[in-house]
Amino acid sequence: MPSWPEQTKYISHVTTRIDAPEKVTGRAHYSSDIQANGWLYGTILRSKWPAATISAINLDKALKIPGIKAAITAKDLPQNVRFYGEEIAAVCGTTKQACLDALRAIEVTAQPRQFVVHEDDAMKDGAPQVWDGRPNAAPGRPREQGSVDQAFPECAAVIEGFYTTAVQLHHPMETHGSTVSWTDEGLTAWASTQAISAARDGFAGPLKLDHSQVRVITDFMGGGFGAKLNGSVEGVLAARLSKEAKAPVRLMLTRFDEALAVGNRPSSFQKIKIGALTDGTLHAFELDNYGTPGIAGGDVNLPQPYIYRVPNTRVKQTNVAINAGASRAFRAPPHPPASYAMESAMDDLAVKLGMDPLEFRLKNDASEVRQREYKIGAEKIGWKEKYQKPGSSPGVVKTGIGCAGAAWGGGGPSRNTRGDAQINPDGSIEFRLGVQDIGTGTKTVIAVVAAEMLGLKPEQITVKVGDTNFPPGPGSGGSTTCASISPTVFDICAKALEQLQTQAGIADARGDNWFAACKKLGVTPLLVHGQWQQGDSARPLSSSPAYGVQFAEVAVDTETGQVTVKKVVGVHDCGLIVDALTLESQINGGIIMGMGYALYEERVMDDLSGVVLNPNFETYKLSGIGDVPEIELTLLNMPERGVIGIGEPATIPTAGAIANAVANAIGVRVYSLPITPAKVLAALGKVPKPVTA
Amino acid sequence: MKKPEPENFGAFSRRTFLKSIGTVAATAATAQVRSVAAELEKVNAEKVVGPDAVPVTLTVNGEKLKLMLEPRVTLLDALRNYSSVTGPKEGCDRAACGACTVLMDDLPVYSCQKLAIEAQDSEITTIEGLAKDGKLSPVQQAFWDKDALQCGYCTPGFIMSVTALLKFNPRPTADEVRHACAGNLCRCGTHPHIIQAALQASGAQVTSKTEVINA
Amino acid sequence: MKAFQYATAHSTDSARELIGDKGAYLAGGNDLLGLLKEYLVPGPDILVNIKSLPGLNKIERGEKTWIFGALVTVGEIERDAEIGKVFPGLRDAASEIASPQIRNVATVGGNLSQHSRCWYFRQRDTVCLKKGGDLCYARHSENRYHSLFTGTDCISPVVSSLATTFAALDATAIVLRAGKETRMSMAELYQKAFTDTPAHNSLNPGDLILRVEIPTTRSRSAYLQVSDKHAFDWALVSCAAAAEVTDGKLKSPRVALGSISPVPHQVQAANDFLDGKTLDDATATQAADLILKDAKPLEHNGYKVPLAHALIRRALLKLKGDA
Repeated sequence: MPSWPEQTKYISHVTTRIDAPEKVTGRAHYSSDIQANGWLYGTILRSKWPAATISAINLDKALKIPGIKAAITAKDLPQNVRFYGEEIAAVCGTTKQACLDALRAIEVTAQPRQFVVHEDDAMKDGAPQVWDGRPNAAPGRPREQGSVDQAFPECAAVIEGFYTTAVQLHHPMETHGSTVSWTDEGLTAWASTQAISAARDGFAGPLKLDHSQVRVITDFMGGGFGAKLNGSVEGVLAARLSKEAKAPVRLMLTRFDEALAVGNRPSSFQKIKIGALTDGTLHAFELDNYGTPGIAGGDVNLPQPYIYRVPNTRVKQTNVAINAGASRAFRAPPHPPASYAMESAMDDLAVKLGMDPLEFRLKNDASEVRQREYKIGAEKIGWKEKYQKPGSSPGVVKTGIGCAGAAWGGGGPSRNTRGDAQINPDGSIEFRLGVQDIGTGTKTVIAVVAAEMLGLKPEQITVKVGDTNFPPGPGSGGSTTCASISPTVFDICAKALEQLQTQAGIADARGDNWFAACKKLGVTPLLVHGQWQQGDSARPLSSSPAYGVQFAEVAVDTETGQVTVKKVVGVHDCGLIVDALTLESQINGGIIMGMGYALYEERVMDDLSGVVLNPNFETYKLSGIGDVPEIELTLLNMPERGVIGIGEPATIPTAGAIANAVANAIGVRVYSLPITPAKVLAALGKVPKPVTA
Repeated sequence: MKKPEPENFGAFSRRTFLKSIGTVAATAATAQVRSVAAELEKVNAEKVVGPDAVPVTLTVNGEKLKLMLEPRVTLLDALRNYSSVTGPKEGCDRAACGACTVLMDDLPVYSCQKLAIEAQDSEITTIEGLAKDGKLSPVQQAFWDKDALQCGYCTPGFIMSVTALLKFNPRPTADEVRHACAGNLCRCGTHPHIIQAALQASGAQVTSKTEVINA
Repeated sequence: MKAFQYATAHSTDSARELIGDKGAYLAGGNDLLGLLKEYLVPGPDILVNIKSLPGLNKIERGEKTWIFGALVTVGEIERDAEIGKVFPGLRDAASEIASPQIRNVATVGGNLSQHSRCWYFRQRDTVCLKKGGDLCYARHSENRYHSLFTGTDCISPVVSSLATTFAALDATAIVLRAGKETRMSMAELYQKAFTDTPAHNSLNPGDLILRVEIPTTRSRSAYLQVSDKHAFDWALVSCAAAAEVTDGKLKSPRVALGSISPVPHQVQAANDFLDGKTLDDATATQAADLILKDAKPLEHNGYKVPLAHALIRRALLKLKGDA
């Protein structure tokens, strides 16, 4: 039965990214770099009202602006706007300046309605309703196991805490958008998307085209993190503009737009009560959580209690609608807030029990993999030497350490993944898969697997992805891409060798024999089609889930409140490591994003106006290079589990580890993310009350 | 589009008078003519242009780009949308992310917050101008070797910042690299590798602490 | 941005004439272009590039006074080793302003005259008090970045790091106003922001900052700021301190704070108290108490009080030097 080779030359080693040359020279072309002949600039008019009924939109003046070639409304009228930033209209023209002038010339007749932009306000009696006839708060059905009412009194120690997390924005460096062009066959869209098939559906449906009439091309794209997994309003607007203007249209969102309308991670307000027996065994867990997915989107239900087994649980979760952009899947949804709160509660309970938090976890964590990872990580961070009782670090700048764990299934590999390879008589080989490389190194993974299986070098493998004309692959989400494509490429290579060996009459066409074998093809290339394979069930080609633990060491200046993350130790598994270099990059990235979630990121809504107050990088703060700590990684290679995935597990435990480190340092818990200097000083009791008048 | 009206500039003035003469190249013969010529040269230098498009010549990677641009067009816009110099990226258009970083006379600036019309006297270098005869610069090569890129969108900007740093400070410390790159954002989280790449490009020895444990 | 004409001025007279009633001076352009892109100011009909004005980009290093032309860039200040010796606080302030890309174009004059960074002012769709509306949103809503001391209903603080440092160094800005040079202390340069709601500073339309003169009286100076992030992030609070220090005793001390008031916040009583005192924890603490005595924290910015207190103590103690 097929399985990965025991000894490998490339798999599990370090291979540099095969598309690095294009990226470091500027030759990599993203959606907004495509030079479609005669392309026009497109842009969108968005609602400045958080809630309104739009009865009329007058485009006449906009159309008169020199250079404007088309102007359209986004929806039928009357339009019920439900969030600040909702799409109202769109224009295209020969220059950006003309388009922006045109937006300002569009006349909108709107009747503002009442709105609500904070979860607490939305749950009050008499709050403005986001959706007519629907209460803003939609409680889910409570889940119960055992009996918490009986169990809590049995506990030796119980703690309660109200742990909260903010709405987080994806903010990929490349905004959403596409360059679209109509041909006789239909529509071609160079889209910044994580899922070309979904993007295609997103064009075909609204434009009433057959799927076969839509081609989506994504050679390079600048990140998505979950926000670019579906069809898009802006894509369809671009296509409609392009049709009307009879020219290609390049329509990319602005950074302002990204903060309003293309997704976010819901907030969470988690009231946790958790108790353990004298020996430290978790015994009872109760959660009352609410949060907002904006006007709609996913639900906020958190997988609580996160990763630890508790025999008695009661979990109630409530979605709260507000007048703000709908949420979208955001890197490991909804694990980061669950992990943060659970791991914080674990530490708080450990402290109450008088137990070392690491020992407390090892006692209650059923995962063998994580047990192993904790022990490795503890040594790397120096847990034994460094762990002190909370707040006992001397001096003004206090140090502390904390840890947290993760588990991520993500749905497992996509069994429908297929791919082609064309092998030419000169020995050159080109793989074609309908997947995307969103920065994770998909192209390189394909090259590494192919090089390994064929006995070639990665640089000898040509990889083409991101075209709906290619055999279909999964959207890049759930950390499943690597596990989907690796067995597929394995299969293609196995079939290719089989066919090549038969045709060439050679027993083994790999490595040194490759070129001679290919030459025997004559003039006709060999086209091989393959698909995802399970392989040997004892040693599968891919599987799920992955785990992972992280430790954080922080320094907190107790006079200024500023938190500095000094070091993060990550111990991660992802089954069979394909490329250790790109893997390291992914984990670094997950940690840095998790640090942002813990310390800097928060979408701020204004009660009075209903606007997003920080729709820019100035006041929505991403981790910068000056904030990034020393990161030390240990990668567990587990070939017997096959290829898994890493993108999401890498970001799950970071906030919990950092929050625990802060609490350990200062001896008091900051319950709310992001942990800003203001909140640290408040937790230390140093902030004076407001003075009225 | 609004055309400039003489009334906008207030009452009759020397400048208005000279403007109305038009643009004339100075050819001095006598002292009197010379002083008028000097005045005219000054007026040329202070000529009011726009708001409609005017000729703007940019020197980009050693080549002249002759464009017709309104004064309000930014350098980034001019490069990406009026020409095909798409290396510098638009990440925010608000001088906050660094994806648009180019060098103007060797200094890194945000091309999104600079008018193209005032960039005419500078030598502009973009990512496309770093490789010489197909050979990558040490910084580009180091970014490749150390995987200092993931989606690659922030990469041109970071490479420009690191290139500028090493020109002024050939052997920086890791902190100096952080300081020089503070104006560049990355969402994928490549920062640790960027620091390694910058140090490697400077000739320093860079080792990774990552451990792979085979189960 | 709205459409505008463009010209380059070669004399201050031309510059003034060219901007007319509705034009704007273009120096580094960072603040101006940011305002124009969001349509936050009535569109100037002409941008006048003043970077060719003669003599304004020089630094004159005198024995008693240093003169910084208004067109000297923040980057030049950061890179100047001599400035680091004579005015270390100024160099430190410069090195923390924004990012390298911004410092390379940002000018002294531009940094001083930059508009409010209040997120309601900067929001394109909120017509706040400063923009002529009826309401100071920040006062009643999100005010975590706002002032502890205010004179009007607008609570937007001054954020110029150079202003804070110049205030501690007792610098004077020389402003060309209606053809005449006017001298303004930092307090005078921002006084109007304390009294007039729409004002960001005391400059009138057409005024042009020419240079800043700094006496070398105070050989010790320090600048500290704390932000949420470690770099490229507006200061939550900034503090500059400057003094002559002889035998551990302060002479002509000045302490100024940024981001907590529309003007660089100085309390004469604190400066007087510090004069002649020995630099130590106790004096520094008492000075901090005096400086922050009348702070009026709002709903969300109370943290600035302990933060400012810490920065004042640290900036003062930093004046001790490596002794």
